[in-house]
Amino acid sequence: MTISKLLVANRGEIAARVLRTAKARGLATAVLRHESEQEGPAHLIADEIVTIEGPTPVAAYLDIPQIVEAAKKIGADAVHPGYGFLSENAAFVAALEKAGVTFVGPTSEVIALMGDKVRARGFVEERGFPVAPSAIEDDDPASFVERARTVGYPLLIKPSAGGGGKGMRIVREDSTLETEIETARREGIRYFGDGRLFVERYIERPRHIEVQVMGDGQGNVVHFWERECSIQRRFQKIIEETPSPALTPEQRDEICETAAGIARAVKYRGAGTVEFIYAQDGAFYFLEMNTRLQVEHPVTELVTGFDLVAEQLRIAAGEGLSATQANIPQTGHSIELRICAEDATADFRPSIGDILLLDEPSGPGVRVDSGILDGGKVTTDFDPMLSKLIVHGRDRVEAIARARQAVQNYVVLGVTTNTGYLDAILAHPDFAAGNVSTGFLAEQSETLTAPAEDISELLMAAAALSDERLVGDVMQIPEMYRKMGGWRN
Amino acid sequence: MQRIFQIDGEETECWLGHDGSRFVLNTPDGSVACELNPTALPGGYTLRAKGVVRELRLAVGPDATFVHMNGRTHEIRRIDPDERLAGRDKGASDDRLVAPMPGVVVSVAVKPGDTVAEGQPLLVIESMKLETTLTAPRDGVVAEMPFAEGDSFRLKDILAQLAPEEE
Repeated sequence: MTISKLLVANRGEIAARVLRTAKARGLATAVLRHESEQEGPAHLIADEIVTIEGPTPVAAYLDIPQIVEAAKKIGADAVHPGYGFLSENAAFVAALEKAGVTFVGPTSEVIALMGDKVRARGFVEERGFPVAPSAIEDDDPASFVERARTVGYPLLIKPSAGGGGKGMRIVREDSTLETEIETARREGIRYFGDGRLFVERYIERPRHIEVQVMGDGQGNVVHFWERECSIQRRFQKIIEETPSPALTPEQRDEICETAAGIARAVKYRGAGTVEFIYAQDGAFYFLEMNTRLQVEHPVTELVTGFDLVAEQLRIAAGEGLSATQANIPQTGHSIELRICAEDATADFRPSIGDILLLDEPSGPGVRVDSGILDGGKVTTDFDPMLSKLIVHGRDRVEAIARARQAVQNYVVLGVTTNTGYLDAILAHPDFAAGNVSTGFLAEQSETLTAPAEDISELLMAAAALSDERLVGDVMQIPEMYRKMGGWRN
Repeated sequence: MQRIFQIDGEETECWLGHDGSRFVLNTPDGSVACELNPTALPGGYTLRAKGVVRELRLAVGPDATFVHMNGRTHEIRRIDPDERLAGRDKGASDDRLVAPMPGVVVSVAVKPGDTVAEGQPLLVIESMKLETTLTAPRDGVVAEMPFAEGDSFRLKDILAQLAPEEE
C-alpha cells in the first residue's frame, strides 16, 4: 500500500515535526485544529487544516468517530497519531482499519497487549525477559492486599491501564497500603476507565533507561540504542539524553538486545520504545512498552542520523526497514530539554498567559521542535510542554555546554517557563557526573530552585523604566518636585 | 511616583523620580540612578544601573514585566498600591486552604461544623492529572466548604475555611 495523503491526528510540536518529514517525502498533508485553538506551527506547515469540534479541545482530539470521518472526508489514506491522545488506542486503530485508512503504528492487537501493563508484563516474563517482583490484582482480587504485602516495601502501586505516572503511588509503610490502593484505584478509574491495579517492588534510586526499536511487522526488528530519562518531575521526564552515562558497552548491548527481543516476540510494526528500570547494581527490569513515537525521539535521531518519522512512514507504506542493525551508529551525545510553561519554584504549577516575545535559540548542534508561535496563547487546555530543545555534541561535556548555552538563550516572555530550572539541573555537579536517579529532582529540589545572586534592584529598574504610565507620570511632575525624590516613609 | 514590585514572592515599594538628567529609583535599600535604552532586537534594551551595563530582553504584560537577562527569565509582578489597600485579605492565613492550582474537587470529607485535627484530610482535589489530599492546617472547626464534589475551582480559590481560633 502506498501512502499519498497523511492526516496528523495531533497538535503542537509533534504535529509540526511529523508534517515536516511527511512534506519532505512528497506527501500531501493535513492536520487537526479544534475550533477554540489558536494557530500553531503545524497549521503553517500542513497543506490542509481540518476543524474538529468538541466540548473541550482534548475531547475533540480523543473523538475517534470524528477523526476517522475527517480522514475519510479529506481523502487521507494514512493517519499519524503523534504521541498522547489516540496514539495508543487500539479502538482507534481498529476503526481506521475498518475504514480502510492506514494507521502509522503497530497493529491494534499489539497496542492492546502492550497497553495493558499486566498482560504486557506477563507476556514479557513468560518469554524469559527480566521483570521486577510484583503482585497482580487480577490474578486473585480477594488476596491482592495480602500478596501486595509479600512483595515487600517500598512498593509502587500502578493502574493496570496506566501510563505517564498517573495514579502511581509509592508506599513505604504497611499502615498506608490500603488507603493508597483505594486512591490509586480511583485515579485509575478516572484517567483510564479501569480501576485494576498491580504493585511491584519499588527500586530505590532507579534510573529510567529505554530503548528505541523499529520493526517491519514481519519479525525483523532493529534498535536505535538507548535513551536515559531519569530526570523526571512528578514521574514525567523533562531531560533525556543518549547515550546513557550509566551503561558500560556490554550493558548497553544487553539492554538494547533485550528490547529488540521483546519487540521481535510480538512481530512489532513501526516505532516503539521499551522502557526499563535500571537499578544501582546494574540489574534492569522491563517497565513497559510504548507503542508510539516518544516525545524524546529526537535525541536518538541526532546520534544515529536517522529520521524516525521517515522510518515510520516507510514501514506504514510497506517499504520495510531502511536499516540493518550494523549500520545504525551512535555518534556523539545528545540531550533534550522539555520547555514547559510551569513554575518550578511552586511545585511545577502550570502557568498560562500570552507569549509576548519569543526568540528561540539556533546554532551548530541545536534543534528546536517548537509548538508555539510569537503572540500565541498558553492555556490550560493542553499539556504545559511548549517545545523541545535538542542539542548534539561530540561528547557529553560538549552536549551539556551547548544545552546550557542554548537554554540560556531561549527567550519566552509572557508566561513563566522552566528554562532557568533546566539550566540549574544541567549545571548541577551530580548531573555532570551522571550520578542521577529518577528521584534526583525531588532530592535536589532546594538546590535547584535556590535564588541566584540578588539582582532585584536591576529588575525593578527595568520594570519601572519600561512602565510607560509610570515614566509619563514622573515626567509630568514639575522639575523641582521631581528632584526631591519623593521618598518618604 | 510609587509602585510595588514583587520578585520571587518578595514585595518592594519603590518610588521613581528624575533628577533633571537621569531617572532615580528609590528603594528601601537606597537610590539607584538608572537608564534604559532600546537596542535593535525585538524587546531588546540596554540597562545601565548600579555601575553595570546589562543587555536584556523585556516584555510588559498586564500584571507583570518579564525580563530575560544573563540567561535567566525573571518575572516582576506590578502591584497597584490602591488595589492593594482595597483587596486586603481578611482572616489569618492558617484559617483556610487556598487552591494551589486550578482543578476539580474529587471528594469532600468534612462539612461545616465538624471538628478537625491538624493533618486530617478535608478534601481531595485533582489538578494537572494528579490527585492531592488537602489536610487541615491546624486543629479547629470547619466554617465553610465552598465546593462540592465535581465542582471545578480556580487558582487561589478558597477550598476550605476554618472558624477563627478563639484566644
